[in-house]
Amino acid sequence: MKTWLKIVLILIGIGMISGGIVAYKIFTKPHRDVTAEKAVTLTAQGLYDAFRTNEANANQLYLDKAIELSGEVLEVSANQDGKTVVNFKTNDPLFVINCTFKTNPGELKTGSNITFKGICTGYIPDANVVINEGVLIK
Amino acid sequence: MKLFSILSFICFFSANMQLHAQKIYGTRNAKISFVAPSDDDVKAVNNEVSSRLADNGAISFSLLIKGFKFGYAEMQDHFNNEYLESNKYPRADFKGTITNIKEVNFAKNGTYKVTVNGSLTLHGVAKNIAANGTITVNNGKISALAKFPIIMKDFKIEASAVTDKVNAEISAVYQ
Repeated sequence: MKTWLKIVLILIGIGMISGGIVAYKIFTKPHRDVTAEKAVTLTAQGLYDAFRTNEANANQLYLDKAIELSGEVLEVSANQDGKTVVNFKTNDPLFVINCTFKTNPGELKTGSNITFKGICTGYIPDANVVINEGVLIK
Repeated sequence: MKLFSILSFICFFSANMQLHAQKIYGTRNAKISFVAPSDDDVKAVNNEVSSRLADNGAISFSLLIKGFKFGYAEMQDHFNNEYLESNKYPRADFKGTITNIKEVNFAKNGTYKVTVNGSLTLHGVAKNIAANGTITVNNGKISALAKFPIIMKDFKIEASAVTDKVNAEISAVYQ
């Protein structure tokens, strides 16, 4: 076999293998599992205060982080995909911490105090802080 | 003097009542999804869209980019870190008007065709967009649905390796 043909074949081989590795990585990388992560512990009010007073700073501290949040349940509902959503109360009647469960937490009562662990996706002014992919801690 | 202050107090309040006579419907958990027309695997959904709809036609949506969930975790990372730069631009906002709101009867059950015009801010770029959709009234429960394309280069999103546009669909069930 000619040397140049060997080189071309080797290059094609390397290309196919690295392409395969990239594809393998894309299709097999697991999603984040919040239960296995160390979380920042906060109250619903504390999280709201942090975003209201300094959004940029709160983004630095909490965006994309695992948060273990305690507070009073204001409302329980389900989203359009059937996942349980809890709104935690803050001292602003129009503002809540909006938390979506990835696993079914069972029955939750309005007015009770619970602890929820999830990933903070950010702050929507005049509406809520969002935490999703969460589980019930207690 | 006392009479004057009482009168002005009453005037102030009745004016306020007038302003607040319009009804506003809201939800914190509207749903937006998108898919790339060239590749069905490139799709994501966000169930934490905050939306308000007023019966005078004003409509708004706000969502967090990090709230989009993909089937593949690696795609979600690329979407956040390289294409949408969600640490720098964590939110997308739409503020607009339903131009034919007079054709919607909020007191009568039915599905009404509507046209929405407004400004979408995404990836730090604001652009006017228009979309067709529907508003459904069902025994006082209001929901809204719209489909529209998002062209990547309109919002300076460099994702040409994946797609030039995505087809988005938004669905809000108001409380």
